[in-house]
Amino acid sequence: MFLAGLPLTTLLLVGGGVALATVVLYILKLRRRPVAVPFASLWERVLKDREASTFFSQLKRWLSLLLQLAMLAALVLALGDPRPEASALAARNLVVLLDSSASMAATDVDKNRLELAKKKLLELISGLKSEDRMLIAKLDANVRALSPLTSETGVLRQAVERVRWTDTALDLQQGLSFAQDVLRGLPNAEVIVISDGAFVAPASLRDPLGAKLSFVGVGKESDNLAITELSARRYPLDKSRYEVLLALENTGKKAALVELSLFGDGQVIDVSQLRVEPGERVPRFFTDLAGASQQLEARIRVLEGKDYLPNDNRAFARMPERRRAKILVVTPGNTYLEAALLLDEYLDVTQVEPSAYPPSGSFDVTILDGVAPPAAPNTGARLFLNPPASGSPLKRGPRLENFGFDTWDRKSPVLRFMDLLDVQVASGYALKPEPGDHVLGQSELGPILVSGTRAGQSFLSLGFDPRDSDLVLRVAWPLLILNAINTFVEQDAEYQSAYRTGDIWRLRVPAGLETADLKRPDGSRVSIPVREARAEHFGEYAGFYQLSWAGAQVPFSFAANLQDSAESQIGPQSELVVAGAKAQIVSGFEPGLRQRYWGYLLIAVAFVSTLEWFTYHRRLTV
Amino acid sequence: MGLFELFRRPRSGEAARSKAPGIGLFDEQFQRKLEMLALVSRRVFAGRQRAERRSKKQGSGIEFADHREYTVGDDFRTVDWNAYRRFGRLLVRLYEEEEDLSIYLLVDCSSSMGFRDERKFDQARRLCAALAYVGLANLDRVTIVGVSDEIKSTLPTTRGKGRILQVFRFLSQLQPSGVTDLEACLTKFVAQHKRRGLAVLISDLYDPAGFERGINVLRFNKFEPYVLHLVDPRDAVSDLKGDVRIYDCETGEERDVTITDGLLRKVAEAVAHYQSAIERFCASRTVPYFAANIDVPFDELVLRVFRRGGFLR
Repeated sequence: MFLAGLPLTTLLLVGGGVALATVVLYILKLRRRPVAVPFASLWERVLKDREASTFFSQLKRWLSLLLQLAMLAALVLALGDPRPEASALAARNLVVLLDSSASMAATDVDKNRLELAKKKLLELISGLKSEDRMLIAKLDANVRALSPLTSETGVLRQAVERVRWTDTALDLQQGLSFAQDVLRGLPNAEVIVISDGAFVAPASLRDPLGAKLSFVGVGKESDNLAITELSARRYPLDKSRYEVLLALENTGKKAALVELSLFGDGQVIDVSQLRVEPGERVPRFFTDLAGASQQLEARIRVLEGKDYLPNDNRAFARMPERRRAKILVVTPGNTYLEAALLLDEYLDVTQVEPSAYPPSGSFDVTILDGVAPPAAPNTGARLFLNPPASGSPLKRGPRLENFGFDTWDRKSPVLRFMDLLDVQVASGYALKPEPGDHVLGQSELGPILVSGTRAGQSFLSLGFDPRDSDLVLRVAWPLLILNAINTFVEQDAEYQSAYRTGDIWRLRVPAGLETADLKRPDGSRVSIPVREARAEHFGEYAGFYQLSWAGAQVPFSFAANLQDSAESQIGPQSELVVAGAKAQIVSGFEPGLRQRYWGYLLIAVAFVSTLEWFTYHRRLTV
Repeated sequence: MGLFELFRRPRSGEAARSKAPGIGLFDEQFQRKLEMLALVSRRVFAGRQRAERRSKKQGSGIEFADHREYTVGDDFRTVDWNAYRRFGRLLVRLYEEEEDLSIYLLVDCSSSMGFRDERKFDQARRLCAALAYVGLANLDRVTIVGVSDEIKSTLPTTRGKGRILQVFRFLSQLQPSGVTDLEACLTKFVAQHKRRGLAVLISDLYDPAGFERGINVLRFNKFEPYVLHLVDPRDAVSDLKGDVRIYDCETGEERDVTITDGLLRKVAEAVAHYQSAIERFCASRTVPYFAANIDVPFDELVLRVFRRGGFLR
């Protein structure tokens, strides 16, 4: 204990003087209030009987004086501002990285891991020395400071209260970099990670941490079952039907019996039971599903076994809208092309002679069969079949004969589900792509299928007349046409059945916007910025979202999922090793180090004084 | 009033003097109640003749009282010859003399009677007036004496209810002041009034020398004392708190006291004990005693006095 306020000698002088004055005042007789009584003899008789209790009265009087002196001593001591000896040590600069990733929602401890972590953090705050400074940052896939570097415990406690978990994985590397930046150049720096340790710690750091690293672990159990994948798509040739891929994983150490439910627009589509062995990943396909479902949700319920993390027991997916694409076909007549377009009932096809181009109306895609007129407004993307030498976005190369697709881009959405290896072409022309164009297929003699963009409008160009090949006799022909159309209308091209939390989502919106309005799964709304016709948002929570903007008649809906097998591994770690160095156990946070006893002394004095006042006026102590 | 006047303790009786005497004390309503009391007294004691009271004075009445030895000069007609034949002694018959009663109403006028708001003193005066009226209506000889440590004032003996206004005037002029010394005061009283009779002492009996002495003076001088003890319930209850200096409203005697609930309980017990001591004393001496609570209306008190007996016979 040491005195941070007035020195001891001063306190003794002040205390002695005031004590002396108190004693003098105390022994002075009070001027009593005169009160008349009708017959004093009656009082005399009573008072004679009470003479025996005079000693007790005197004792009470002296006790009262001692109490007064004790209160005085407490006041004088308060002036000295006594503090614990340990609080005189050097001040520390602390950055606390509080894990708020999805695994912290595990319920293997009281309430959940995050609540326990917050409780432990509050204990650390209570154990701060008066000169210590602390910054609290919330760490998941992102790092976010919740408080300044401060010694105000009230601010720190408020910061702790604001923390809630997110459906994201933890990025410790990012958190440590943040701590490095904060603590750079500060003395007695320390980084405290409060986490369950259910993550992959970085094996190396870009820069030395330059601070003491401490670890506070939370969590006990590792049993968990998770939906680690959920995706859905409509069949290209029958968009009224769809298929769903789902993966289930047991990340715990015990086998579990799980009930898996699949819901479409809130209605049950399928319910099944699965036994999942420890560490096993069970994929499930739901094929040829029917219905006009927009929203898909998968849920698991553990029938036998333990599941401590509820976050990953639900997964969400959104299927693309079924919209009629408006197609303009400019051809003198092509039976194969017309047949291919008939396969998709969701196409609104308009066919015109080349001389009638451009017709009135607006179109998503224009298919130009052997012609290449100048692009007209509102005619959309263009698909060239055997374009002429002039008018086409691509220059025509040398004439080719007896060739085929030797290589093609299998990952391109235009060519998916296709095998072009045996396609034979009698004659055609090689195409000359320009920089920025993408060659999707080529023979050994040159590119024959190229995509690109001209004047902001996409195009796809096929270097031969399909009727001069056996392509039109293959399944690949209608697929090529329909894939190309789907790609152009971006129905499939940018469609994602679910976004992944922990990433920055870039959502396509009309150009010219500055902000868009995002409705989150919990119903809250947030305005998010738009850059280059993309609304950007850091996704933190799984569920269904709705994005709307000025002029949007129907909001754009999409789903988001955790879908992180690593984050579903909730087995806690008792120690943290970063870049080969083991984090230490936190120390130096003894409750009471921050205590300033003068406040308590004043409260005690006020309490005793009030008690004495009450008992005096109630005549309990006189 | 100067600044120091605010802190000056009022001297005994000063508060009482500041009040105008007898305002509203004997108003018309009061007089109507007196009439009622007189009627009630006649009904209660119906059959008795006026002034038909036995006195202990033996004389020429018709009711036998006692024998005594014959002495020279006695009327021979009074010699009881039957007794002479039986006992061989000459005994003279004595008869109770019938006479009109002398009623002395002794009103305590000490400062304690005017303590607080003089309610006790007012009640004493009302009771006195009522009893006087009843006495006057019965053609008794009524004398009213204001007593404290001395005889402060005396209403000469009077009779007939037409003198009631004189009684009112006399009582209205009485003021509570001085200390209580019933022994000294009543000693003077008995010396001044040779004609014995009913002596009604209306007092709170707060006599530092002891209430017994004053009553005994009346007893020992052949008066028939009747004690009408005025009791103020507030004397036993107090809301005092803390350190105070109490002083007697008559003697000014002071005492520093720290008042607690326990002390107040003890004082209340002492007041009750004092009252019971008076009652026991009177009972053991066959002195009629009546405790008159000043919170009870005076007419109700007077009726109780009548029923209790001893005042009207």
